[in-house]
Amino acid sequence: MKSLKDELRVAVVTTHPPSMGTLNEYGFHFVKALRQKPEVKELILLVEELPDNQQYNFDDGGAPVSIRQCWRFNALNNATRILSAVRQVKPDVVLFNLQFATFGSGKAAAAIGLTAPALVKAAGYPTVVLLHNIMETVDLDSAGFANSRLMSGLIRAFGNVTTRLLLRADLVALTIPKYVEILERKYGAENVILAPHGTFETPPMPEFELPEGPMRIMTFGKFGTYKKVEELIEATDMLRSNGHPNVELVVAGSDSPNTPGYLENTAQAYEDVGGVTFTGYVPEEEVPRIFEESAVVVFPYTSTTGSSGVLHQAGSYGKAVVLPNIGDLSELITEEGYAGEFFEPGSAVSLREAIARVLDDPERRVQMGRQNYLASCGLPIADVVDWYLLHMQELIKDKEG
Amino acid sequence: MVIGEMKLEGIDILTLEGRFDAHTVPAASKWLEEVTAKLPPQIVVNMEDVNFVDSAGLATLVKGMKRSRELDGNLVIFGLQQPVKIIFELTRLDKAIDIFDNEDDAVASFSQAYVDVN
Repeated sequence: MKSLKDELRVAVVTTHPPSMGTLNEYGFHFVKALRQKPEVKELILLVEELPDNQQYNFDDGGAPVSIRQCWRFNALNNATRILSAVRQVKPDVVLFNLQFATFGSGKAAAAIGLTAPALVKAAGYPTVVLLHNIMETVDLDSAGFANSRLMSGLIRAFGNVTTRLLLRADLVALTIPKYVEILERKYGAENVILAPHGTFETPPMPEFELPEGPMRIMTFGKFGTYKKVEELIEATDMLRSNGHPNVELVVAGSDSPNTPGYLENTAQAYEDVGGVTFTGYVPEEEVPRIFEESAVVVFPYTSTTGSSGVLHQAGSYGKAVVLPNIGDLSELITEEGYAGEFFEPGSAVSLREAIARVLDDPERRVQMGRQNYLASCGLPIADVVDWYLLHMQELIKDKEG
Repeated sequence: MVIGEMKLEGIDILTLEGRFDAHTVPAASKWLEEVTAKLPPQIVVNMEDVNFVDSAGLATLVKGMKRSRELDGNLVIFGLQQPVKIIFELTRLDKAIDIFDNEDDAVASFSQAYVDVN
């Protein structure tokens, strides 16, 4: 049996409330969970400097926390200050909770700050980086980092260098399998691992039975680019005239910014079809009702970029879903634990049949809803922290020989 | 799903089958909770017929292993199919959990641990 160090002094470089820095909420929940673990003897937070009128506060629950305010957003000397703080507190292991802009909005400050894990590792401390994004998947234009192709290319070149520096850590944990694959392939990295993001709270158990009244088919999102509702309206029309007269369609959401007027034009084109409601923009407080009243949530997508936030939402409300049979979407959602009925995109008949399979089998509909609810609950962050502790203990054991 | 349990030389053996995910972990979790109430927990998990494991399944095994080790026992597994083995490697939990090729080696690891300690 492997014997592991069970009284750890863990240093965490992170943002944490009341700091408003990115990942502060993740830092808060991660630290909270870490403090509850019996193998953590002490937690040392290496955090951002706060203004004079603010302070970091921790209750008495769990392992004691000590604070070192040792870096400042956009400062150029963060890496050396963090190294100095680590040398003073001498932890057993250092965890960095990072994304590419953790240490600054300026390119130089952001990049220099990210050399900290390499410096700490070089100083002999076991070092784990939890990296929330990778440069390869960031849309620099959309993110506002680059306004020209030249600038975009330069930033990517710096990003490659910075990524290589981050990979000098003992272990780099990523939250998405695709990220692991990219870093392994592009950089030949052998120290990258998958560690799920973890959920902060579990959604409450939904009602799986439907309210009285019509059976509502619902689609949710911003429409007009790759989310199109024409076939869904046609499928609904076919259902209504073929054995499902009480079916209604709710198109919840607005136009994609790239296709203004799409929904209005579509509504006009299909004004003769009964039982279709266009809600327009759905305010946050109305979202639960829209989902709860639905018998099935449909994803009328013509292409996808992977898993969907709406799918997660549908799951949290315990809903059955109907999805297009595109690329590896089926495999992706299955891997995430979801279940759905699939249709062939481009075929309103196939879509009608998929929806009917859900509506005609209440037992199956409820079973899918339950499965999707469980999938949306994900893995609690406390369980994810257990994985990190195991990795930390392994690193320490390896260092100690 | 959990398809069986047995006891061999004071070791509890749990046999899983099919998908070990959020929908099937409750039964395994309940079993592990009961077994780790005995001291010291010595647990072998047979995964020969498991073709998929998700993060919830992995977390269940990690929790069982942590709980067992806290009580001076252990949880070991054997018989990983290739797709499942890849998940363990991707998460590097193959470095943290003792994994064996077959049941004999998994069971023998406990007598080896006994020899090591004494």
